Amino acid sequence: MNGVTLFAALVAFGVLTGVTSGLLGVGGGTLMVPFLTLAAGFSQHAAEATSLLVVLPTAIVGSLVLRRRGVGDLGLALRFGTLGAAGGVVGALLALALPGHVLKIVFACFLLLVSVRLVRDSLVAE
Amino acid sequence: MSCPLDGVARTSEEPPAHVAGARRTVLGLEPRFIAIGIAGGVLSGLLGVGGGIVMVPLLVLWAAYGQRDAHALSLGAIIPISLASVITYGAAGKVHYGEAVALAVGAVAGARVGAGALARIDERQLKLVFGVFLAAVGVLMLVRS
Repeated sequence: MNGVTLFAALVAFGVLTGVTSGLLGVGGGTLMVPFLTLAAGFSQHAAEATSLLVVLPTAIVGSLVLRRRGVGDLGLALRFGTLGAAGGVVGALLALALPGHVLKIVFACFLLLVSVRLVRDSLVAE
Repeated sequence: MSCPLDGVARTSEEPPAHVAGARRTVLGLEPRFIAIGIAGGVLSGLLGVGGGIVMVPLLVLWAAYGQRDAHALSLGAIIPISLASVITYGAAGKVHYGEAVALAVGAVAGARVGAGALARIDERQLKLVFGVFLAAVGVLMLVRS
């Protein structure tokens, strides 16, 4: 891909990531990290670092829209997120030192359990 | 692996953490929010995800938040979490700035659309969409591991 095509592809993928992020309250790294490693040839660490830089403005803009609509509580979110930031530093340093294989498998199982529950709730609850 | 969520879900019969308000500690936060914030942060940095995938389920199943508010809180909490993580990675020299700018241009525009949709969507549809999203993420992680 030449520079312009790559830029356009990245912007388009960014739109997809941003919509998902705003709708689901996730950062979007889940989509971007595989994209950057598989399609753009990034190393895992570079993909994770770059994706986090995109997550930041995305979360800010999405949160401002939700605050204007009166959804959630941005003050509370920023306070417990600040605490989580300390955990984020620890996690990032661990990621630079660990292969993380086993952890990913355990975490994937956790996600599958949650997803079963959510889908069941959405179909059963009145 | 046993199912930890069953135990977690039962505690939601207690009043929601934000209503109880009895044991306030760090930053005026309930212990549950402290735990959810830290869990989101560590997994965010470790797995390269924004942390929302951890925080949204915990906010709904443990802190007894409504689905829509949980997603909004998660997005807000991601702001300081990703800021700290990107500073850590930036110090390690791993960020590709050109690609990040291109992705961010699209993502910021998309976030306005997505957040607007979150404010309107039916909560059951939201649960279903998020459930499917988590299942896809879980399968993807298993395959790549």
